[in-house]
Amino acid sequence: MDMISIRDIRKVYHIGTEKVVALGRISLSVAQGEICCILGTSGSGKSTLLNVMAGLERPSRGSVIIGGTDVTKYSEKQWALFRQKNIGFIFQSYNLLPTMTAVENVALPLAFRGVAKELRTGKAVKMLRAVRLGDRLLHRPTQMSGGQQQRVGIARAFVARPKLIFADEPTGNLDSKTGQEVMDLMVAMARKYGETLIIVTHDPEIAKYAERIITIHDGCKVSDESNPAAAGKKEEPES
Amino acid sequence: MKFRDMIAMSLSNLFHRRVRTVLTVMGVVIGTCAIIVMLSLGFGMRQSMEDMMKSMGDLTVVTVYGGGGSRGSGNLDDKALKNMQKLPNVTAITPVYYLDPSCVTVSCRKYQFSAMVYGVAMDTLKTFGFQAESGNLPGSDFKKTDILFGSESGYDFMDPKRQNDGMMDRTPDKNGNMPKPFVDLEKDKFTLSVNLPEDSTARKKDVKLNVLGVLAQDYSKNPNPSDCIFMDIDYAKELKAKYNKLNNVKSSESQDSYSQIVIKMDSIEAVPDAVQQITDLGYQSYSMESQRDAMEKQLRTIQMILGGLGAISLLVAALGITNTMVMSIYERTREIGIMKVLGCIVWNIRAMFLVEAGTIGFLGGAAGIGISYGISALLNSLAAKAATSGQEGGIFGMGGNISIIPLWLVFASLVFSTMVGLISGILPANRAMKISALTAIKQE
Ligand SMILES: Nc1ncnc2c1ncn2[C@@H]1O[C@H](COP(=O)(O)OP(=O)(O)OP(=O)(O)O)[C@@H](O)[C@H]1O
Ligand SMILES: [Mg+2]
Repeated sequence: MDMISIRDIRKVYHIGTEKVVALGRISLSVAQGEICCILGTSGSGKSTLLNVMAGLERPSRGSVIIGGTDVTKYSEKQWALFRQKNIGFIFQSYNLLPTMTAVENVALPLAFRGVAKELRTGKAVKMLRAVRLGDRLLHRPTQMSGGQQQRVGIARAFVARPKLIFADEPTGNLDSKTGQEVMDLMVAMARKYGETLIIVTHDPEIAKYAERIITIHDGCKVSDESNPAAAGKKEEPES
Repeated sequence: MKFRDMIAMSLSNLFHRRVRTVLTVMGVVIGTCAIIVMLSLGFGMRQSMEDMMKSMGDLTVVTVYGGGGSRGSGNLDDKALKNMQKLPNVTAITPVYYLDPSCVTVSCRKYQFSAMVYGVAMDTLKTFGFQAESGNLPGSDFKKTDILFGSESGYDFMDPKRQNDGMMDRTPDKNGNMPKPFVDLEKDKFTLSVNLPEDSTARKKDVKLNVLGVLAQDYSKNPNPSDCIFMDIDYAKELKAKYNKLNNVKSSESQDSYSQIVIKMDSIEAVPDAVQQITDLGYQSYSMESQRDAMEKQLRTIQMILGGLGAISLLVAALGITNTMVMSIYERTREIGIMKVLGCIVWNIRAMFLVEAGTIGFLGGAAGIGISYGISALLNSLAAKAATSGQEGGIFGMGGNISIIPLWLVFASLVFSTMVGLISGILPANRAMKISALTAIKQE
């Protein structure tokens, strides 16, 4: 079953009288539990595509269907509630809240969902242990390295067990070794929990972690191929 | 999102920017203090005014003045009295029939008193609150010759043969004791006679007086029970008639013309109505209540000006809150964006900012109340010192507190300062709500 599918998505920015076509008619679907990578050069429209899929940007045309529901026309509030329950995010620049500890940051999506404090703290601690940060629970973002911060970010994305996780250049700010560690962790977590993971990157090395690689260029899909090397590593999710 | 989580996040935000929070709160503290202290001075003034009023007279009493033409008030005759008796809510009413000192003389042994006489309805004195220094006030069964002496009237008795130094000196001695008058008002026997013309050969007729007691001095009473005699009004009228006949006085005023009519109402609230109706009847009246009303209006104006001055500083504080919150939003744009992406609904974001602003207002209000109590106590002790060191008590009256903070003002200012905080937060909160998640997380 398709976790997410987009149909004929087009996104045009108007700057003054000029039109910038960021996405021109893109259609694709990602199956439940799939780890998929969107690969493209800078300015090719990857982030725009991701933002459209996550409801942060409205497409000029086309529709977005997630888990069988057409969410294209959702209001801002509906999207917020939908993201609360169904979508996790991993950012290039981590985007942790600087005044909060690691636990509080990880527990934040649960807090938005109205989960009681003890329960969400427990889940957050568990998640942090899963990303091997059990000894950094009460550290603030400024007291952690980039790799550690990104691991907190991964814990935050997974903590609410969303249907879909989006990662926009998750290794963009990390050196290649740390980047690899983070990718290993992220992919392992996604497999472990059976999450659908969509990674955006310009780096073919990173793309190798995905089972499926969709390449876009100038806002259009140029190729969509499976990656047997990564798919081979796929284990049965324990869910 | 749970409400307590929202509060917790707001408080932790305030705590993380504690220097700015404290500075902003201080603005509210100053504003709240200004309002409370200013208003408390107003309340102090009101209190001392009310105390003063109470000492000056009974607030439920209305005094109606007789004509004399010049006053523009109607003639106070029995018809007027009847009309006034019919007024609603009257507890007691007495006309006052005045005999000037030339009419009658009260004698005791060789001492004489050219008495000022007030003829009143003797049985109403109790109701009007007159007090007896000695003896008793009359009930309803008094005799015609029953009289009450004014508290000072003992000193008015003098020896008519010693024209100049016959008068008693009324200054107290070194020990503060008053000298004893020539007569003893309680024990001596007194007689009354109507004065005759100097050339008259008619024999003076002495009437034995029955002294019921001596009235206690009370400057708030009308007539003032001091250098005078109170007697039954009918007897006073009779004496006046006798005097007019013996002295061939052709009185222009009618026999039953009263100098004033004093009315006691059953409540302060009934006074303004009564005053209005008396005015409608064509008489002039005086009441402490209408005095008080006028003063109160003035006081209210003063209080409003004082409160307004305080309000200005609170307004400045409100701008301070708005400014702080707007600054905070600039700093937190990215955070707000992240929260939105993570699924925080905009209503929660708005509520968080409102809680922050409201908390600043509340904290400022609470601290302001505490400090206001301190300032109030300081002002009062300074005023007390000034009063005891012999300086003037000033407009604030003697001894009393110049600054009074009623309990309701405490609650009102707490609610008010919180409201001010919330209102100052509305604009920033709406702004925070409208921040685009995408632009917020894109900015570095
Ligand atoms: N808010 C915007 N207003 C106007 N044009 C925009 C806006 N956002 C993106 N674009 C344009 O859309 C195109 C795609 O941008 P996008 O950010 O999706 O690229 P990207 O593939 O993520 O690049 P990078 O790898 O550098 O992040 C670019 O040409 C960009 O100039
Ligand atoms: Mg991008």
